[in-house]
Amino acid sequence: MYLPLYVIYAFIISLGSGGLGAMLGMGGGTIMVPLLIFLLKVPIHIASGASIIAVVATSSAAAVSYVKEEMTNMRLGMFLELATTIGAVTGAFLIAVMSEAALRIIFGLSLLYAASTMFLQSRKMERSWAQRPNDAIADKLHLGGNYFDSARNESITYGVSNTPITFIISYVAGIVSGLLGIGGGGIKVPAMNAVGGVPMKVAVATSNFMIGVTAAASALVYIRNGYCDAFLTAPVVLGTLAGAFIGARLIRHVRGVDLKKIFVIVLLVLGLRMILSGVGV
Amino acid sequence: MSTLKSMEALVSNILRVGVLMSAALILFGLTLTIVTGDTSCPNGKMDLDWLIMGDPFFGPSHILFLGFLTLIVTPVLRIVASIYVYTTLHDNAFTTITTIVLFVLVVSFTLGIG
Repeated sequence: MYLPLYVIYAFIISLGSGGLGAMLGMGGGTIMVPLLIFLLKVPIHIASGASIIAVVATSSAAAVSYVKEEMTNMRLGMFLELATTIGAVTGAFLIAVMSEAALRIIFGLSLLYAASTMFLQSRKMERSWAQRPNDAIADKLHLGGNYFDSARNESITYGVSNTPITFIISYVAGIVSGLLGIGGGGIKVPAMNAVGGVPMKVAVATSNFMIGVTAAASALVYIRNGYCDAFLTAPVVLGTLAGAFIGARLIRHVRGVDLKKIFVIVLLVLGLRMILSGVGV
Repeated sequence: MSTLKSMEALVSNILRVGVLMSAALILFGLTLTIVTGDTSCPNGKMDLDWLIMGDPFFGPSHILFLGFLTLIVTPVLRIVASIYVYTTLHDNAFTTITTIVLFVLVVSFTLGIG
């Protein structure tokens, strides 16, 4: 019989972050990695390794129900995956040459970035999202779409604008994903929503859909480099899956604005702690 | 439109089967670890031979890694399936886009596993 407490704690931490992550299209790694580092004293390379594999799980599990509900824009997702996978491979190779402190500071900064973009969005009313037409590239590739919003009980048609900028931001999100072992949804969701003009729920579902492929690209580089502790990763994956299963079912009943407000505070606190721990405070 | 529907169903099924299979492997591996107390695991860098062949083959850590591998391969199969669908739709732009994504994944796996 072998059941150390950290296995149980790792399961509980990932259950919570997986659930929140699925609701926000963030894969859950963003909250999970700092919690594993601060609560379980796991080195950042190992925490990221466990997270990136769990992130593949969250994405695939949540995508099953998103795709069924037709909230996912698969064409947009597959187009942007071009940028995120190339970024992810770049990031996963960079991690081998980065120190623990440097990674903590970069992680903290990316948390603060995600918090600030979400804060700016949550100040606007959700209804203020304006329908935009497809730009030239989106028009050629038929990236626009429509979905049924069950919270508002109406069918919403949308276009995709600023496609080149959205593409470039997605590449950066891929690098961050591979480097930090997170899904990078904290960057992709605001990019699609604020820059591309895609409705929040579609951005969340599409980001989640893309994250699996993005994370898979870097996960094997992590395993190959020995950043995968099997006995930490196993409870983390199972906890995240259970959390994602619950989260993907809750999203239909929660309004985007409420979700964002809670998340801004969580991201802010974790981001500051991460930076402080990186500079040795 | 019906092709889009069938693609959504295909993608959904691939993801569901992949996730369930890997979750079962990981749950089994973790239970085996807890019951037997066998925490032996090759340290440091992994290679493809160990991931696929493994030694010991039914060691708890090896079953765990097979579960992780199944999870990682699932989104790749999703890409393969979508290439097939876009080809049958004669959607050249998206056949090219998804093929490049697959190429990047294969390159990363090759580099990652070496």
